[in-house]
Amino acid sequence: MLIIFLLTILGAAFSFAVKGKRREYAVFASGIFLVLTVIYSVLRFHSGYTGGTISQETFNLASSIGIVFSTGVSGFSDALLILSAIVIFLSVIITENGKYGESLYSYILITEAGLFGILLSRDFLFFYIFWEVVLIPVYFIIAQYGERNKDSVSLKFFVYTHIGSVFLLLAIFTVYTFHYEATGVFTFEMGQLMVNTYISKIPAFWLYFALFGFLLAFLVKLPSFPVHSWLPDTYETAPYPGTVILAGGLSIMGGYGLFGILMPIYQAMGTGIMDLLMALGVISLIYFSLSAMMQQSLKRMMAFASAAAMGFVTLSFGAGLVESGYQANLELAGGMFQIVAHGLIMALIFSTLYYIKKSTGHEATHSLGGIFREAPVLSSFLLAGLLASLGLPGLAGFIGEFSILVGVYGAIGWFILAVIFGMIITASYHIWAAQKSLYGPYNERLGAIKDADRLTTVKLMGMLIVIFVLGVVPNLIYGLLLTYAGGIL
Amino acid sequence: MTGITAGSLALVGYFAPLIFLGIVGFAILGLSMLKTSKKALSWITFASLGISAIMLYFLFPSNTSVYDGTIVFNHFGLYFAIVMIISAMFITYPSMYGLKAKSEIFYATLIFVTIGMIVAAFSYNLITLFIAFESVSIGTYIMASFGKEQRNLEGTIKYFFTGTIATAFILFGASFFFIDTHTFNLSVISAAAPTPELTISLIFLIVGFGFKLAIFPMHQWAIDTYDGAENSVSAFLSAGSKVLAFVVVLKMFLVGFSSDFRDVYYLFAILAILTMTYGNVSALSQNNLKRLLAYSSVAQAGYLILVLAVVGSVGNVNSNVVAVAVAAGMFYAIAYIFMKGGAFITLNTVKGDNLQVSDLSGLAKKSPGVAVGFSIMLLALAGIPLTGGFFAKYLLFLSLIEGGLWWLAVIAILNSAISVFYYFRVILYMFGKEPLKEDAFNLGNTFKIPVYVSAFLTVAISILVIWFPTMIGFAPGLFR
Repeated sequence: MLIIFLLTILGAAFSFAVKGKRREYAVFASGIFLVLTVIYSVLRFHSGYTGGTISQETFNLASSIGIVFSTGVSGFSDALLILSAIVIFLSVIITENGKYGESLYSYILITEAGLFGILLSRDFLFFYIFWEVVLIPVYFIIAQYGERNKDSVSLKFFVYTHIGSVFLLLAIFTVYTFHYEATGVFTFEMGQLMVNTYISKIPAFWLYFALFGFLLAFLVKLPSFPVHSWLPDTYETAPYPGTVILAGGLSIMGGYGLFGILMPIYQAMGTGIMDLLMALGVISLIYFSLSAMMQQSLKRMMAFASAAAMGFVTLSFGAGLVESGYQANLELAGGMFQIVAHGLIMALIFSTLYYIKKSTGHEATHSLGGIFREAPVLSSFLLAGLLASLGLPGLAGFIGEFSILVGVYGAIGWFILAVIFGMIITASYHIWAAQKSLYGPYNERLGAIKDADRLTTVKLMGMLIVIFVLGVVPNLIYGLLLTYAGGIL
Repeated sequence: MTGITAGSLALVGYFAPLIFLGIVGFAILGLSMLKTSKKALSWITFASLGISAIMLYFLFPSNTSVYDGTIVFNHFGLYFAIVMIISAMFITYPSMYGLKAKSEIFYATLIFVTIGMIVAAFSYNLITLFIAFESVSIGTYIMASFGKEQRNLEGTIKYFFTGTIATAFILFGASFFFIDTHTFNLSVISAAAPTPELTISLIFLIVGFGFKLAIFPMHQWAIDTYDGAENSVSAFLSAGSKVLAFVVVLKMFLVGFSSDFRDVYYLFAILAILTMTYGNVSALSQNNLKRLLAYSSVAQAGYLILVLAVVGSVGNVNSNVVAVAVAAGMFYAIAYIFMKGGAFITLNTVKGDNLQVSDLSGLAKKSPGVAVGFSIMLLALAGIPLTGGFFAKYLLFLSLIEGGLWWLAVIAILNSAISVFYYFRVILYMFGKEPLKEDAFNLGNTFKIPVYVSAFLTVAISILVIWFPTMIGFAPGLFR
């Protein structure tokens, strides 16, 4: 995997040298990375995975102060690696020639390298570096190719998430320093720092200082209520390839932070924090669903829908770790599955929206209307995406939400009604949006519009098939996630 | 009194790099008779500075103290001496374009200033430190006034007057230091208890050196001077000269006032907070590009003096935390030279005077390379990873956390998040806007190459973090 990662870095760097045919290059490169990642995963994880991190490698750079570059893949991060490879590939192929400048493709490839770096790094220093590196290309994607208000929105996106990141940095320093005081060894390795027996030795104040830093960074990225306000603006303003990356690729960062980084130390975190996270998850779900209902623009609505889906992730993290036994495994695996499914579904929805915007020129529900008559293929894809997003059985979205819902009762009791309420709102605005924009009388002012051509259909169909397959045979990755969760608890 | 002995011959060896530089300086003045071109002069200066750095490194008498501890050769001093030589070398080539006449005077001054810097790096005596420091200041007055426009001179005069006032403060503080300790040797008093005289001396010295370092209430001259001076001179003032002030401040307050660390801690923690916040907040509303960079360098000075706050609060100079803090300052110094100096030098590529941020519009369309290079330096100043600036900030904040000053770390880190706003505004103009007019930039290779070099070095310097343990080993040299 390390080799694939190095290839992504080289691929991104080399893309600057390609003139004229950079889109083709990016399609080729990200396609190769996708294929390589899938092959790697099949070889590595098709049998014999027993939890934890495998295929670790360590390179000492300055070991006396703990600077090492160490890598490793767990079942969870492998699932996310595949997800981000798919999403990046999709975001490249949906663009057509000449619409965006050449640098867009370089930025996308850098983002891919950064995401791979985050998922592979098993030491905090490089984890943090890649965590920040991802922001820069995405910032440029928005600032250069965004729609209205791109200046202020891109800045808001960067500063908002950067503030989260710097607190992450302080948190890392705190555990690093106390590890030195406790053992006399400087190290940034997650395997040594994120250990219950050690973390629980940190004085209470500093422990909470560190946890605050970690949680703030991860919750901003998810995003969770109340640190979400960058999200709707950013999603709306970003160009569609950028939105696909944001929704499918970047949203995994927060989830990976929770499940990949913080989960091993859940005992040291205490139930107070878990309760808080569960509360934030439920509030996010309801609040974002209600906000989504009020939106005129489909793009902005789906931005809130994406955030609401992440409410499930926070909820499952909190709930899974206060429970025990099979329920906890189910809960956590459900949360992780939700991250993957959400990424795929949002990528499909935003890609379809991109084509709809392209052929109609509109993305607001009220200016669309009845486009099913003129563009049945695109409408079907959007409908499929929306249905997957609201959790229709048989599609990937259902699996995550279902296992979260099954497990969560044990942790929050009758508050589960609030979650169900949130799901009902989610379902209703999804259906309403579909009704208003896709069905009903055709909005004649749109004139004649083009439906998807064959190539577009193939691209979207590929995505839909992945979502469908994961909905019918979730065990492709669900088993991995269960093993991963089981290995930690 | 005595004849030539083996000891005095050894001394000549120790000071050979300085003597060499002095000779070259006068030789350059003499070259004016031969009508040497300024290009040749700049290369001569560059080469001789490089040679002196190499001589310094190879002739280096490790841990030798001469003249009763007035000059101490240790790795800490060597590191800073070489860093400051690099900062002078860094501007020899770019400064060529600002010089209209009498370039030999400029280059000779640059060399003399560097001599002062090297002496200051090794000196542990208030008087030699002061004299070295003044020789640098006087040299930089000359350099800042190189050029003929009125605006230019106004900044220099302001620099000169505030500099002189600061000198008075330093002398006043030094005399109180002498009253209390009966010596000018900085490392003598470490055992003495703080007295009222010492506190007065501390405050006067902080005001005096605060002017030179441009920390908060004493920063106003810097804004005007950086704004008025030639770009490469601003680069030198805000990089090399600031690093010098930083070394001197480290020695003065951490060695000279080691008995009074509590006050050092309080004063520098407060000053650091004020300086960072003031610099960053003022930069937010700046449209003038050079003033924006000037305010950002005020803010950077605030980060630098966090080192003194950490050391003051820990108190025990033998502890690991102190070594990390000082080493973080050392790393910051070298990263700072490339990112800040490079940023000022980049402004050479923009035509015109009194540059506004909007003058950079569309630079990315005209020359992607320069725009990317400048962005790298701005990202480094903001402390974004993959640049030397990130590691500099990172080590600094790490030392704050290790020293237990979490609240100071939070303030510093929020400040660094604020700073993202104005650095990114500049980047936005470069990448997001259309060029205002056709012919707005100097894009000859002579202007581009310095930008590429400094951008490359800004990134490459992060490799140095691998040698950070070695720097930690150098750091106790500060306290001997």
